Amino acid sequence: MESHAVATLRYIRESMDAAGGVAVPGSAGIALGAIGLAAALLASTPALRSWWLLIWLAAAVAGVAAGGAIMARQSALHGALFGAPLRKLVLCLLPGIFAGAVLTAVHWQSGNLHAIPGTWLLLYGCALVSTSAPTARIVGVLGALFVTLGLVAFWLPDELHIVALGAGFGGLHLVFGLLIGRKRHGRQG
Amino acid sequence: MVGRASVRARSETTAPRRAGPAAVPGGGRAAHDASFDRLVYERVRLGIMSALAVREELSFSELKALFEVSDGNLSAHARKLEEAGYLTCAKSFEARRPKSLYRLTAVGRAAFNRYLDHVESVIKATRR
Repeated sequence: MESHAVATLRYIRESMDAAGGVAVPGSAGIALGAIGLAAALLASTPALRSWWLLIWLAAAVAGVAAGGAIMARQSALHGALFGAPLRKLVLCLLPGIFAGAVLTAVHWQSGNLHAIPGTWLLLYGCALVSTSAPTARIVGVLGALFVTLGLVAFWLPDELHIVALGAGFGGLHLVFGLLIGRKRHGRQG
Repeated sequence: MVGRASVRARSETTAPRRAGPAAVPGGGRAAHDASFDRLVYERVRLGIMSALAVREELSFSELKALFEVSDGNLSAHARKLEEAGYLTCAKSFEARRPKSLYRLTAVGRAAFNRYLDHVESVIKATRR
């Protein structure tokens, strides 16, 4: 009886894998949004303002860890930690994240710190647009909003950069996490 | 789009083929369980719903390639799901050829989630 139910779950996972989709849990967006908002609040504190880059880098590491853990947990629940769809998702995300890391180092080395928020938002948005192929259209919409915010951030004065980062990595993640949770994964909230 | 590495080929030995509620806890009782949906239980229909749960829409030819079933078989299963309100089918023409695009409805997603809950509860109950 149990083996039949397990085989049914495996068949469902195989069908999902073959269809090439990844169900992104809304909880991942909510977790990333919470980390983004916390980073924005910390970086806005007058005493910590000069440490904004370090705070956001730490938030990026925490975000990757939290998002990765949630996705890995969901994949493990379906029986395959690193199934084909999850690999596709990672491959879509990696080029944008890698370019962001390289450009961050380049901007930091040349003292061009004001270009970093726009670069992050723009490249992360591009990475999300890529991931909409194996995930869902709503992830592409989120990516397009990040791209728009990134373009706007290049023209914003320095004092508004933290606001832009908070609006993107905090606000957009949170709102879309809730939307995805409601729309696609009623079971996961 | 959907590759030819179909579910059927890989799941030949693993996918549940036995029909009927004997496979779920409670035997005959399961047939009356609200969470057990006979319409979703059938293998091809379960596959169609699983695929559409992760893709917003899939065409008839994509589904056919995915499950390696005949046109008649697929359209019969899809029609049953459509009649139950689990799927919508949008018909159009692409390069003068008819194209059918299937989507999961909110009712269909709820039924699929209920079915998943049911399978998970079977596993939990038997592991206790």
